[in-house]
Amino acid sequence: MSSRRSRSRQSGVNSRITEDQINDLVSKLQQLLPEIRERRSDKVSAAKVLQETCNYIRSLHREVDDLSGRLSELLATTDTAQAALIRSLLLQ
Amino acid sequence: MASWLHYPLVDEDPDLDQSFCADLLYPTPNQSTTTSNTNTNTILRTSAVTELRPTVTAGASRPPIPPARRTELADSKGQNFVHFSRQKASFDGRLDQTEPSSSKSMVVVRESTVVDSSDTPGVAPESWERSASDIGDRGCGTMSCGALAGTCSAGAGGKEMMTCEVSVTSSPGCSCASPEPVLKPPAEDRKRKGREAEEAECHSECGPTLVRGLVRQDVEFESVEAKKQVRGSTSTKRSRAAEVHNLSERRRRDRINEKMRALQELIPRCNKSDKASMLDEAIEYLKSLQLQVQMMSMGCGMVPMMFPGVQQYMPAMGMGLGMGMGMEMGINRPMMPFPNLLAGSALPTPTAAAHLGPRFPIPAFHVPRVPAPDPSRSQATNQSEQMLNSLGTQHTGQPRFPTFVDPYQQYIATHQIQLPFQQNQALAQPSSSKPSSSKGPENLNNH
Repeated sequence: MSSRRSRSRQSGVNSRITEDQINDLVSKLQQLLPEIRERRSDKVSAAKVLQETCNYIRSLHREVDDLSGRLSELLATTDTAQAALIRSLLLQ
Repeated sequence: MASWLHYPLVDEDPDLDQSFCADLLYPTPNQSTTTSNTNTNTILRTSAVTELRPTVTAGASRPPIPPARRTELADSKGQNFVHFSRQKASFDGRLDQTEPSSSKSMVVVRESTVVDSSDTPGVAPESWERSASDIGDRGCGTMSCGALAGTCSAGAGGKEMMTCEVSVTSSPGCSCASPEPVLKPPAEDRKRKGREAEEAECHSECGPTLVRGLVRQDVEFESVEAKKQVRGSTSTKRSRAAEVHNLSERRRRDRINEKMRALQELIPRCNKSDKASMLDEAIEYLKSLQLQVQMMSMGCGMVPMMFPGVQQYMPAMGMGLGMGMGMEMGINRPMMPFPNLLAGSALPTPTAAAHLGPRFPIPAFHVPRVPAPDPSRSQATNQSEQMLNSLGTQHTGQPRFPTFVDPYQQYIATHQIQLPFQQNQALAQPSSSKPSSSKGPENLNNH
């Protein structure tokens, strides 16, 4: 651990975080990514995982935006009483 | 012989060494005279050496001695020779050779000629010896002069050339040390070229010592050089490998850092400069986003389902929910068949809102991309099942969920009765905490 720490000079930002921790987190992150998880290959570079994470987050953002737009549209078209009720419920 | 010897000298000044020197010095740039001199002297030398050869072969231990004697002889007429050699050196400098090397070559020449001349005493009279030595000196001088004036790189065959070449090739790397050992053999070479091959014995007497010395020197140089090279090559190889590794490592780190920055921009309110916490945050945010999308898609799909008039969309809805369930089973890519579902905008029931409520803090009509408060996947599963159950109970007896597999149908069928209660519960506690809502089915089973 300590020997690896000396090796992992992570460009000054944080030198205390060990590479093992980073690797654990990256593999954890990898499990959340459908693109990489479907590949079933253990040999994925950290940069690739991060790149896929970025892509995935962007796609999720798009979906959330889309969904929120649809939901708001949906709620806007409901009658006022129900919309008020829903809004009160959602805002809780 | 004497006539041959004096013939070139007679032209200018037979006895004066100075004049001889001058004769040698000034015509040297002129190629024709020097070459002619060389030729005559070559013949001279040939005859002289043929006579000398027996003694040379007889006395093997002779060669080391003569140089001392020759120094005396050289001293007697040294002025001329030293002067000559010095001038030669300057001339050599013009011939693209370094001065020290040329002077050394002269020394070598002188020594070797001395060996030849000093071998004679036992056989030849003193005068002849003198003349022989003279011949040697002058011949050598002219010969070397001619050779130098001619071409230094002229292919002079023989063993000398071989050794010379060997020495040259054996020390390829030592550029600073090579001039000495490399340039000496050429001097030998030139002399040898002048004498031709019949001098082999004499040369084998005097040459080997020189050559051996040179070779020894060369070997030393070579060994040192080889050691240096070996050490240098391994170290350079290692350093180069390390450099390459460093470079690739740095590139990799740069890539990772770049992606990290991109990730940091994508994650809201992420002011962590720490890599690990950045990744932690990214993981949490990803999870929350996944859940949010899942919930919203379900919520969106739920809305029309609550409406009795939109049953034609039920298959699509079921598929969408099925995908939602599949997402938890590993496909994880939420697919939302919303366009069809939302075509008929219907009134959402409070049930759906209640289910969405704790998960989706929707201010006004906009759903912000905020991370859910630490949701977990299993809870999401339970809740979606719960929602599915509620849906199933609401539309009992209606044709729906054709894409669902039997286990779900069974599950829904078993829980159909309890669902009104669940709906009431959800209405009563819209902001119910996750554990209670996730425990919903079990509680319902107990009821």
